[in-house]
Amino acid sequence: MTTIAIEHLARVEGHGGITVELEGDAVTNVRFDVFEGARLLEPLVRGKRYDEVAPILSRICAICSVAHSLTSLKATESAFGVRVSPQTELLRELLYRGESIESHALHLFLLAVPDYLNYPSATALAADKPAAVLLGLRLKKLGNQIQEAIGGRAVHPVNAVPGGFGRVPTLDQLIALRGSLMQGRTDADAVIDLVASLPAADFCHSDTVYAALRSPNLDRYYGGDEVMVVSNRSRAIVRAADYRELTNEKAVPHSHAKHSTFGGNPFMVGALARLTVNPRRLTGRLAVAMKRLKLLLPADNPMDNNKAQALELIDDLDRALESIEQLLRAGLKDERPMPVHPRAGTGTAITEAPRGLLIHSYTYDDEGRVTAADVVTPTALNAASLELHLRRAVEQCAERDESVISKRLQMIARAYDPCISCSVHLVRQR
Amino acid sequence: MSKPTVGIFGLTGCAGDQLVILNCEDRLLDIVALIDIRDFLMASSENDEGCPLDIALVEGAVLSRRDADKLRAIRQRSKILVALGTCAVWGGVAAMDRGKDRARLLEEVYGEIGLTYDSSPAQALHEVVKVDLGIAGCPIEKEHFIAAVAALLNGDTPLYPEYPVCTECRMRENNCLLIERGELCCGPITAGGCEARCPELRVPCVGCRGPAGDTNVPSFVAMLEQKGFDRQQLAARLRTFAPEGVAQ
Repeated sequence: MTTIAIEHLARVEGHGGITVELEGDAVTNVRFDVFEGARLLEPLVRGKRYDEVAPILSRICAICSVAHSLTSLKATESAFGVRVSPQTELLRELLYRGESIESHALHLFLLAVPDYLNYPSATALAADKPAAVLLGLRLKKLGNQIQEAIGGRAVHPVNAVPGGFGRVPTLDQLIALRGSLMQGRTDADAVIDLVASLPAADFCHSDTVYAALRSPNLDRYYGGDEVMVVSNRSRAIVRAADYRELTNEKAVPHSHAKHSTFGGNPFMVGALARLTVNPRRLTGRLAVAMKRLKLLLPADNPMDNNKAQALELIDDLDRALESIEQLLRAGLKDERPMPVHPRAGTGTAITEAPRGLLIHSYTYDDEGRVTAADVVTPTALNAASLELHLRRAVEQCAERDESVISKRLQMIARAYDPCISCSVHLVRQR
Repeated sequence: MSKPTVGIFGLTGCAGDQLVILNCEDRLLDIVALIDIRDFLMASSENDEGCPLDIALVEGAVLSRRDADKLRAIRQRSKILVALGTCAVWGGVAAMDRGKDRARLLEEVYGEIGLTYDSSPAQALHEVVKVDLGIAGCPIEKEHFIAAVAALLNGDTPLYPEYPVCTECRMRENNCLLIERGELCCGPITAGGCEARCPELRVPCVGCRGPAGDTNVPSFVAMLEQKGFDRQQLAARLRTFAPEGVAQ
């Protein structure tokens, strides 16, 4: 038996590894291992009052801290029957765009692109090709500017609270953001040029099931509560309250990870899934860019998630601008958060974090204290699909040179943009 | 003069402090030019895992034997060890209620298999090894990181505010959330340095920077009790980011 072990997966968030075992040419075992310590945040929030929950659970992950905060608030508000204002909805979508821009720019340019060009890091890449890295840093900064203006901080936002925002951003802040975004849009072509110029990553093909929040025009990350699961053969809708249909975890013999499956199939969440589930938005500039990237949907290559992130990145810039225009047109109001009256009950929220579907579900007592909390993260949902694709990549690799296989495995894992701090909730540890 | 060798590491946490380093977009390439980063797994796939380091920056808390071993190995190879962020300095959110029965919680979240995990109650770095400098914050402030790099490069140690958030909040002339609105704001006992970010947004301080130096906690608690807050809930809230008994 041969074992290929990647002990420390680099250029990802958190601590994980990959192990593949081969018997001759047959792959006998594939594992995506997680080495993060268990922080047990879900049982630790039990007994906490509703306004303490989002600040604690945002700490599950820094890169997705907006998504964790806002999904948490959405679940709490749903449990208490609080309806936030249209302005709050718009500001929250805008905050999500900011996080998505930051996260995609970081992942694409600083973590994923170095692989394609055979560099160990973005700093090494910057020594030879500074333009690519500077482009990424510019867009990343723009995403952070949005998060700072709307969320009050780039990592672990503080301004989003139950019922709305502590302080609504000022007109001046929004106008400044609009200026930065208009400047940022001029980088859109450069993003597509760069990603289109990368060598093809064509070493893993597999029928893939995709799951994403259904959003008629791909215009929502935060709003909505219906998940669509799309495969070559079928489509299904899962509503937020029934989220356990997506997370019917089960132990499988070939892996240490508990797997999420739908109808017995692993599924992929994230940028590629969002485009696949919501193709209507892919018109005009995005359709042209998609052609340039040679992306066909539904894709059978998980590496295409990088292309999907590039498309989302340029779309996010437009969407963020649109949100600001809408806010300005409607006339920005210095609203206070909606009053929150705790009551006993359960609230479940599903949103699209940069890496895919994120679910928070809480049960509260009549004083507004948590009695049960459940968090399901995109990286945990993706674990089964990632292992499937790692397996296919080894099976489809004609060479048995360990360094070739190892590099491909790492590239696929990175294309999933895993966030391992997030994943510990569902993925078992070694 | 040769550049100082630097390693950037994460134990168990959210990677937020490493992210703040990457968020120094405008100055990142300048900083990288001044130091010799040898080991930074989150950003590079080519790392020297054994070389001596002039400076080690470590974020996250110690939550397993694996974390503790890793931290001791980092300590051994480093001249200066910097604890980065509230988890590293104080234990952070995973350390709240660290007296609770851990086995039971593990079993609850992961099932029976949880009992076999390498898992221990969260500890701040200084509870395991000697720490030369702590930069608190959840996450750290970008400017504090840059100040630390500048100071350390010049053989100096940076100083961070020990006064409470209230000092900065008053400088910004905010209305007091605690006294005027009766909200549970942890500003009076939490270390400043954040420019009172949350109260500035009318959001009460949750204490994410850890305890301020030289505060009168009993008087703070007495005042909150007078305002009708329940003592037990109060105690739990004050320990969200720094557990009892983790004194520096």
